[in-house]
Amino acid sequence: MKSSQRSKTTLSVVLGIICIIYVLPMVVVVLNSFKLNTYVKTDTFAIPTGEMWAGFSNFTKGMTFGNYPFAASAGYSVLITVVSTALILLFTSMAAWFIARVDDKVSRIVYYLCVFSMVVPFQMVMFTLSKTADTLKLNTPWTIPVVYLGFGAGLAIFMFVGFVKSIPLEIEEAAAIDGAGPVKTFFLVVLPMLKPTLISVGILEIMWVWNDYLLPYLVLDRTKYMTIPIHIQFLKGSYGTVDLGATMALILLSIIPVIVFYLLCQKHIIKGVAAGAVKG
Amino acid sequence: MATVSLRHIVKIYPNSGETKKHKITNLKVTEEGVLAVQDFNLEIADQEFIVLVGPSGCGKSTTLRMVAGLEEISKGELYIDDKLMNDVAPKDRDIAMVFQNYALYPHMTVRQNMEFPLKLRKVPKDEIDRAVDQAAEVLGITQYLDRKPKALSGGQRQRVAIGRAIVREPKVLLMDEPLSNLDAKLRNQMRAEIIKLRQRIHATFIYVTHDQTEAMTLGDRIVIMKDGVIQQIGTPQEVYDSPVNMFVAGFIGVPQMNFYDGNLIKSASGKYSVVVDGAEIELSAEKQKNLTDHKVPEQAVTVGVRPEHITLKEVPGKMIKGTVDVSELMGSSVHLHINACGKDGVIIVPTLDLKGNKTFTMGSPIEFTFGGDVAHVFAKESGKNLEFSNDTVQE
Repeated sequence: MKSSQRSKTTLSVVLGIICIIYVLPMVVVVLNSFKLNTYVKTDTFAIPTGEMWAGFSNFTKGMTFGNYPFAASAGYSVLITVVSTALILLFTSMAAWFIARVDDKVSRIVYYLCVFSMVVPFQMVMFTLSKTADTLKLNTPWTIPVVYLGFGAGLAIFMFVGFVKSIPLEIEEAAAIDGAGPVKTFFLVVLPMLKPTLISVGILEIMWVWNDYLLPYLVLDRTKYMTIPIHIQFLKGSYGTVDLGATMALILLSIIPVIVFYLLCQKHIIKGVAAGAVKG
Repeated sequence: MATVSLRHIVKIYPNSGETKKHKITNLKVTEEGVLAVQDFNLEIADQEFIVLVGPSGCGKSTTLRMVAGLEEISKGELYIDDKLMNDVAPKDRDIAMVFQNYALYPHMTVRQNMEFPLKLRKVPKDEIDRAVDQAAEVLGITQYLDRKPKALSGGQRQRVAIGRAIVREPKVLLMDEPLSNLDAKLRNQMRAEIIKLRQRIHATFIYVTHDQTEAMTLGDRIVIMKDGVIQQIGTPQEVYDSPVNMFVAGFIGVPQMNFYDGNLIKSASGKYSVVVDGAEIELSAEKQKNLTDHKVPEQAVTVGVRPEHITLKEVPGKMIKGTVDVSELMGSSVHLHINACGKDGVIIVPTLDLKGNKTFTMGSPIEFTFGGDVAHVFAKESGKNLEFSNDTVQE
């Protein structure tokens, strides 16, 4: 009894330390976003009080820096994230339903190609991809979601197929007998049952697209369109001087939506991860 | 209200990966593939209750799914109300189906589940409400209408599934082992419910089960299948009294029919008798006639007798000797597991007959006999009932 209690305490301490290690960078970002630029490098871990306190000046500075409006970057980020995630969820869930239910050679090949795409690093294809995207005019915030759909499909299809396979086929057969064609069966019966996976895939895709830097940097026409990560990168001056305070402030702004979103959906994330593991 | 005709229905699963699934069964394999159902012929009358019964893998569910339109019919024709249905989509066949695992829509409430088929058919809202309330009333699930399926017990879920099937008053109601997932008590209860339900709705029922009790109690007619082939079609009484072969004889009836090696002999006067373990038992007049009609010669046979037809009453010269293995008191009767003629078997003795003064210990000797009216005579090789050997069994 005693030893099990001791091991529990040890575990708590170890996990606590790991937790601090994980949270620390975020705390540093929060602290430094309210610190005057000169103190960011010298007193990185200090709490901004007295002369170090910069108030919200870093935020205003960051948002007005350069000649590109931050609001536009934020707007494009939201647009790209929402549209990409919606496209990914809609198309991959449909594709996964087909792959899981139509067990023929073609669907198996498509499935393995999708899974394979997960192991190909982005850096391997990025130059050919950005060239192709340019040619196909996929270089605007309205069309770049198509590129995201391609990249997000692998993981999403992998997750959806696993979940669809755990749904008893009889439910869809019952729908067919009740009078639903494939389209109605999908939207009225299958899609609502996919909810846990829709949420977990949605969260993963939102976090990925929102934080993504390289793909929009390579594909988008930077003179016209920026996303928040690109905007932050442009805070760097031409000679390598960086306004760290302003950078931290913008980073904080960019991670707040993700954190809020995550906290709201936490319950579903755990459900989604467990979904398919046990028969529902 | 509908007649259903299945004419020369065949189901072939192509020889690719699918074959693996059927490896465990004895299904016939041809060049085209695995024959899951072979030349199935059945005419079902309006509002008849047909039960397809057989061991797992015998093709009964496949047949049902072909009627539902969930499986393609490889060969043959399916008619519902004289309309060819082979290429008609399930939703246009005017059928409903109850599945073994309920197949309720988990994200919908009970009411929404039951409304679903009507909504898809664009039935007016007030009519939907009326139909759902009525079906819920019949099935006693009114108080659960706003619950989700996961908040219901197995029996309640199956009621909802039946409710969803009957709300739109289908012509044909298909049931695929609907009671298999329920515990014994609930199963008995639901079986009675289904019998009652039948009086209320005017549909033709096709019911699949592997449970012979369900088949006997529910069906107007029973179709017994094995390895994709119909063995016998008949009323419960017919298949119980006159099984066409040893498979049907053994499958219908609990405990199973006892089989003994014996001989069919013909006396000088032309009377048939069976000889088992030295006991000569003359067959009844009806059996005499059947055997005579088919000109059955004397031969070594398998004699089948149901446990409930065996008696311990002393009949000189006609007793068969055996030993008791186990004695089970069931209440109204005692089931004696015995070994006789080198075969294991069961005898059911009514408790009253024993009058409490006779006990059967393991290994104690026992003598029994049976009447000439209850003995079934099967051919040794083919297992066919010699009374009907120009036969109803399809090759």
